[in-house]
Amino acid sequence: MKLELLNIKKSFGNKEVLNGINICAEGGKALGILGRNGAGKTTTIRILMNVFPADSGNIIFDGREIDYNTVSFGYLPEERGLYPKKKIIDQLIYFAELKDISRKNAINAVDYWLERLCMSEYRNKRLDTLSKGNQQKIQLITALAHDPKIIILDEPFSGLDPVNALLLKEVIKEEIAKGKIVLFSSHQMNYIEEFCDSIAIMNGGRITLSGDISSIKRNYPRNKLCVKSSQYSQIMDEYGQICSAEDNGSLILHMDSPDKKMEIMKNITEKFDVDEIKIAEPTLNDIFVEYTGNQI
Amino acid sequence: MKQFTKILRFELKNYFSNKIFIGVTIFLIIAIIGVMFFPRISESLSSSDNPPQTDELPIMIVSGNNVDFINEGFTNSFPDYNVVIIDESIEEIKERVYSGSASCAFVFESITKYTYFVNNLSMYDQNTYVADEILQELYRISAMTENGISPDDASEILSVQITSQTEILGKDQIENYFYTYIMIFALYMVIILYGQMIATNVATEKSSRAMELLITSANPVSMMFGKVIASCTAGFIQIAGVFGTALIAFNMNKEYWSDNELINSIFNMPAYLFVYMLVFFVLGFFIYAFMYGAIGSTASKLEDINTSVMPVTLIFVIAFMIVMMSIISNDVDTSLMKICSFIPFTSPMAMFTRLAMSSVPAFEIVVSIVLLMVSVLLIGYIAAKIYRIGVLLYGAPPKISSILKAIKNK
Repeated sequence: MKLELLNIKKSFGNKEVLNGINICAEGGKALGILGRNGAGKTTTIRILMNVFPADSGNIIFDGREIDYNTVSFGYLPEERGLYPKKKIIDQLIYFAELKDISRKNAINAVDYWLERLCMSEYRNKRLDTLSKGNQQKIQLITALAHDPKIIILDEPFSGLDPVNALLLKEVIKEEIAKGKIVLFSSHQMNYIEEFCDSIAIMNGGRITLSGDISSIKRNYPRNKLCVKSSQYSQIMDEYGQICSAEDNGSLILHMDSPDKKMEIMKNITEKFDVDEIKIAEPTLNDIFVEYTGNQI
Repeated sequence: MKQFTKILRFELKNYFSNKIFIGVTIFLIIAIIGVMFFPRISESLSSSDNPPQTDELPIMIVSGNNVDFINEGFTNSFPDYNVVIIDESIEEIKERVYSGSASCAFVFESITKYTYFVNNLSMYDQNTYVADEILQELYRISAMTENGISPDDASEILSVQITSQTEILGKDQIENYFYTYIMIFALYMVIILYGQMIATNVATEKSSRAMELLITSANPVSMMFGKVIASCTAGFIQIAGVFGTALIAFNMNKEYWSDNELINSIFNMPAYLFVYMLVFFVLGFFIYAFMYGAIGSTASKLEDINTSVMPVTLIFVIAFMIVMMSIISNDVDTSLMKICSFIPFTSPMAMFTRLAMSSVPAFEIVVSIVLLMVSVLLIGYIAAKIYRIGVLLYGAPPKISSILKAIKNK
């Protein structure tokens, strides 16, 4: 399965929200859609899910214009919310049925997912009697019960305790392993790095960076050295201008050019007692800040 | 279509599992049973509690001058009293009335002058009016007798009966007045209550953010029509329950209501009018329900609902007032009413009122219903468009112009 968004443009009145978005996601892989608040992520998702049409551009699924009658979506919106006063089982079946599956299959699927997410005991309870984390697990069932081809998860881990986060991780990995297309939007970069093979960073309605995470990191300028040493302050004194301290106690040396790497490494290892010295790879957080820091 | 039936079923289930809805329906049914059985119950209570009272009539004293002449007329005209002639002083008569041994007393100075004694004067005490009529008649007979006419002739002249007959060629507005009034009022209540319920329902989905999921799961046209038709069905089941119970209870107690024209006229409504009522009820309900639904979608918080629905409620109240004023003034064929019977926002009430209380040409009825049907579809379509835009807008309730602009831009 392959999903492509080609040159999607959208304006609301005079405000241009999306300016030629291009995204490509494949089955069995997760794509991280990153961007600051207001970058256009939700609008992109809504256009993808046919809530409203794009002004121009195409959405291609397996080489053909997407047919919303055959391609099903599972969506976990960032703004969580179901019917607080209604019984959990009733609303889960309702949402599954709206996705065009039979009542019998809906009941079976909902019961499977309640069991899988350890929520069976709440089957006949009202939603507002559950904790926030458990409500979120119920909401996740609405995204998965109808066995969609494309799963869109917007901040799926927010509000979950570590045990539930672990459970959710397992579920997402299972869905990816089933060959589904998973679009993942989050500001928690560690989760993006854990699940996603590729990312698309949005800023001001444009994709400012996209591609495979490892290639992005590899192609990133290798002009930073990471040093761990007991002679922390002495190194700081010598390289004060290009040196910055990290929270974990290591030092980062910003070089003018990667070519100076060998010279500086040699100098430091000869002069100081060094525990570790290596090229500092950028974290996803660094990349995100760099590409979205100056919001357009 | 599949989605529509699923939404309809879900929304209907919401109504029928709503404790307030069930409670109100049961309360109304019990209340209507109570009202319909009231005359039977009150009669059986009064007949079992006070059986001897029917034999013992209250005493009415007549005293003073000319009492022999007056007595017969009083005895005939006051069958609910035991009329007794007593020749006592005024003080003694007052004492009898005050102590309760007599109910009231007439003390005559002459045939045209008397004093009426009663302990507590009831609001409904008609005795002096009846007495005045008897005395006037007696005076006239006495005067005519003095002029040579025999008492029997004089009595016949004075009590001549006029026979008359009224043939109603159109509608009997007196009879139709009550059920038109009640049906218009029922329509008003149902539309206002259910309209508000739809608006609140949509706004609740939006404020609880269930809408985020709904708009990505279902077509807004299906959602809007599903909600409106579900509320219409729930409303009709409620009304059918209440009115159906009333009809059954009325038939069980028909003999006790036989002298009550108001109740009889309601339950003897002609069948064709009932069909018209259903048509205008359903179409009128849809027009307003769609508008309430669309407005509900533009409110981000439940608190905004009351102010947001104000314009629609105002249009509806104005329509209601126009129709009610014409019913009360008993003139339902004014130019204003004729115009209102073709405007979709007012025609459900205005045309039904004219149908019930006047004679309306067939083509006017057809034009009114066709206009209403087209408007229902049009307003339903526009409402679904507004709904689709409205549910995505958070923050302050948007202006009508900005919504229209958004629909146009989309």
